[in-house]
Amino acid sequence: MTRVLVVEDDTQTAAEIAAALGDHGFDVECAACGQDALDRAVVDRYAAIVLDRMLPGGVDGLTVLSSLRGLGVDAPVLILSALSAVDERVRGLRAGGDDYLTKPFESLELTARIEVLLRRRAVPDRETMLRVGDLEVDLLKREVRRSGRAIDLLPREYRLLEYLLRHPGQVITRTMLFEEVWSYRYDQRTNVIDVHMGKLRRKLDDGGLPSMIQTVRGSGYILRAAD
Amino acid sequence: MRLTDLPSTTSFRLSVLFLALFGVSSFLFFGFLFWQTTTYLNNYIDERLERDSRIYTLRDVPEVVQRMRTHAQRDPNNWRPFGIFDASGRYIAGNLTTLPQRPVRFGENFEFRLRWGGHAAPFRGIAYRLETGDILFFSENVDAVHAFQDLLLKAMAWGGILVLAIGLAGAVITGLGAVRQIIGITGAIERIVTGDLAKRLPTQSGAGDLDRLVHVVNGMLDDIERLMREVKGVTDDIAHDLRTPLTRLLGGLERARRRTTSTEEYAIAVDEAIAETKAVLGTFSALLRIAEVEDGARRAGFTTIDLGRISADVVEFHAPVAEESGVSLSFDTDAPGLTQMSGDPSLMFEAISNLVDNAIKFSPAGGCVGVRTFFYQDRIGVAVSDNGPGIPYHEREAVLRRFHRLEKSRHTPGSGLGLSLVAAVAKLHGLTLMFDSAYPGSCVTLEREPAEQSSTSATSSISPEGVEQEVHAISSGA
Repeated sequence: MTRVLVVEDDTQTAAEIAAALGDHGFDVECAACGQDALDRAVVDRYAAIVLDRMLPGGVDGLTVLSSLRGLGVDAPVLILSALSAVDERVRGLRAGGDDYLTKPFESLELTARIEVLLRRRAVPDRETMLRVGDLEVDLLKREVRRSGRAIDLLPREYRLLEYLLRHPGQVITRTMLFEEVWSYRYDQRTNVIDVHMGKLRRKLDDGGLPSMIQTVRGSGYILRAAD
Repeated sequence: MRLTDLPSTTSFRLSVLFLALFGVSSFLFFGFLFWQTTTYLNNYIDERLERDSRIYTLRDVPEVVQRMRTHAQRDPNNWRPFGIFDASGRYIAGNLTTLPQRPVRFGENFEFRLRWGGHAAPFRGIAYRLETGDILFFSENVDAVHAFQDLLLKAMAWGGILVLAIGLAGAVITGLGAVRQIIGITGAIERIVTGDLAKRLPTQSGAGDLDRLVHVVNGMLDDIERLMREVKGVTDDIAHDLRTPLTRLLGGLERARRRTTSTEEYAIAVDEAIAETKAVLGTFSALLRIAEVEDGARRAGFTTIDLGRISADVVEFHAPVAEESGVSLSFDTDAPGLTQMSGDPSLMFEAISNLVDNAIKFSPAGGCVGVRTFFYQDRIGVAVSDNGPGIPYHEREAVLRRFHRLEKSRHTPGSGLGLSLVAAVAKLHGLTLMFDSAYPGSCVTLEREPAEQSSTSATSSISPEGVEQEVHAISSGA
């Protein structure tokens, strides 16, 4: 089982995170202070670490993070914080964080991001050809084909598809798409991304092919090989 | 505060203090005047006595006696009693038969009282001892001088009493005025404290210090009342707007418990409940977000942003939605690369996105929405125009309030928080938010004067790559 360390001083939040990750098949351990987190993360090898930005006891989240990186622990770290200001986020990522999530968040958002962080390590980025089922994308020529038929996509649709193809079979939330593809960060509450995805889906499924993009109830999408 | 507190009022104390100062200075002035006048009159009399008597001392005794007898006949009223006495003080000649009772110092003026002509009167006199041992004595009635002194003293006393009375009355009147105003202010404050926020502190007609202070406090009370009304309005709106989804949520859950039989039906009911709860949470998040933006804390994350680039992104983002609603959405700029300013890219995107979203939502099918960035007369900005129903003139202030929704938009989805956020973002970025009519439709403009952008910085910031790198650096973590 994949082991995840959750560093969170608030026991209730920690329990909720543990439950959400547990439901997705993770083996979760909790640490309530920075020193404890450091001790555990150095000794055990965790697949990922969820780290609260504010911690009691003098050792705060960013200190834990930079210490871990200094000690050669390279597990992906997702920073949780109540601070949403842009420079807070930049500071967190500079200290060695891999992703940053502002409280309050939905459990689906957290688990989807952890999955992506774990998988990012598994799949190298140097591929020039991405394939899922009968869908293939030539990253160099920027050509998309499904069952051999070329599909003409707008630049933004291409970037959406590329991101989904890099994380096949994983839940990708709307917020993640918005951040990755549009490069802006805020909680998109309109249905605009759904409309974009609808257009992309129609182009991919043109000709009566079974749908490859599935909507996850709540707030996300999964790209899978059509059955 | 009661009238017995009068002596403790500042104005009363000040009045009394000035009264005392005026009294003391007047007393000193009058004293000096009295002293000078008296000295002058006495000196005048003394000099005359000395001058007149000096002639007698130079003559023989028989001649003096002879002259005195002649003089005595010329002064029947005895204004100037004089006489010559032998060494033992016995009368020789003159109209004074006895030497005054007090011991006589020779060659020096002195004052004494003498019963003369039936009543005691004040006199000044001088005595000389002749070589023969006889005593020459001259004096003059100084009744008139004393009368004059009495008059001065009386005038001083009466004047003093009058000044004291008028001054005290003035002090009481000003003190009472202050007491009355302070009683009024205290009463007003007590009523404000108990919740009557419309109450204002009373002002006097004058423009005194207290009145100026009262005006400032009243201005502050106006602001507080307005803020309280706004807070109350927002609270009412929150309660009202959240009651509807919560009621729906409750109704759905109760219906599920009553009617649902299968697991699938339960799952549907739970999903519906989750969706409603998410909507409520979303409203709260939007409120907190507006509060966060209004706090100004986000300014710490400002970078150089390009309004034109962000607007183009917004238009591209909303294009499929506009297409679906049959609205043409276009972006246009007359100043490519010149619309740079300091800001938070995500917030700016969200604000412009809200405006575009509204414009698309309220445009009829076949309508058009235009986004235009501009740079003219040292002003940069972005304008979103549509040919929808527009915002009525009298509603333009109100649409910026949280939860405010125009009557005709009640049936469309939305929280009524969009424009509040736009206003908050605009304020954070120092932008002015303006509504214009576009006949038909409306035009919403966000604009600002560039902050001392010199020609060199303008040319160096034209290249959009820098901005792109900034944006990517910020969001490269996902």
